[in-house]
Amino acid sequence: MIDVVFLLIIFFMTTAQFSRLTRADVDLPQERGEQRQTPEEAGIVINITRNGELIVSNRSVDLRELEAIVRAQIRRAPRLSPLDLKLMIRADRNAEAARLNQVVTMLTSLGVGSARLATEVPRMGSGR
Amino acid sequence: MRFRRPTSRRPEGITLNLASMIDLTFLMLIYFMVSTVLSRPEDRLSPTLQTVSETAIGSSADFQPQILDVYRLQGKPVYGLGMQVLHDRRALETALVELYKPLGLFVRAAGDVPVGHVAGAIQAARDAGFEQVTYVPAD
Repeated sequence: MIDVVFLLIIFFMTTAQFSRLTRADVDLPQERGEQRQTPEEAGIVINITRNGELIVSNRSVDLRELEAIVRAQIRRAPRLSPLDLKLMIRADRNAEAARLNQVVTMLTSLGVGSARLATEVPRMGSGR
Repeated sequence: MRFRRPTSRRPEGITLNLASMIDLTFLMLIYFMVSTVLSRPEDRLSPTLQTVSETAIGSSADFQPQILDVYRLQGKPVYGLGMQVLHDRRALETALVELYKPLGLFVRAAGDVPVGHVAGAIQAARDAGFEQVTYVPAD
């Protein structure tokens, strides 16, 4: 029983740490998304809150700082083309697309080819 | 004078009281259970961003690009496909099914539209069978 309790403690400690590291409080769009067979690495996660605030690694950043982060990531992997950079945008569904547009414009100017938009799978019975 | 070493009585077996440790363990378990925020599962949409390189869209330059606009009309977000103005998601899905898929689709959103509608447009395009969905920020 003590073994099980310790395992539970380790599980909760680990999951708590993960959610704190990557996830900001964002109400994601309720869409099915694309079901991938193999899980992919998220790469840089850019959170856009309802009021347009940009959060990366739990830190509020402005567009210029975000650009520096992406540039650093591109420099860190010289063999990798910016087109292959892994990037995920977690944007609040009620946020205005203006901020998203600014981020996308900045990414394209750096040569980033694609990004993924995080969605939340709608729960049973919830409308779109 | 004779000094005698005092005879120490050793206990026959050492017993360790585990009660406090178990209490502490349960307290930790309860703490982590309560403090953990269970994050809901997420999924992802993969719209390709419009790249600055011309080769990415050069091959389809001879064709009229299919652009799905998301903008506000009289305060409400709507979808514009060519000359059509589509007021809801169902109408959009029906219209997208009719389009020619190999050309791909550009989704262009105005700045004042909620991101939820942008994601909805991309999802509708994917559901309609478009392999290539490109997100283009509106000027």
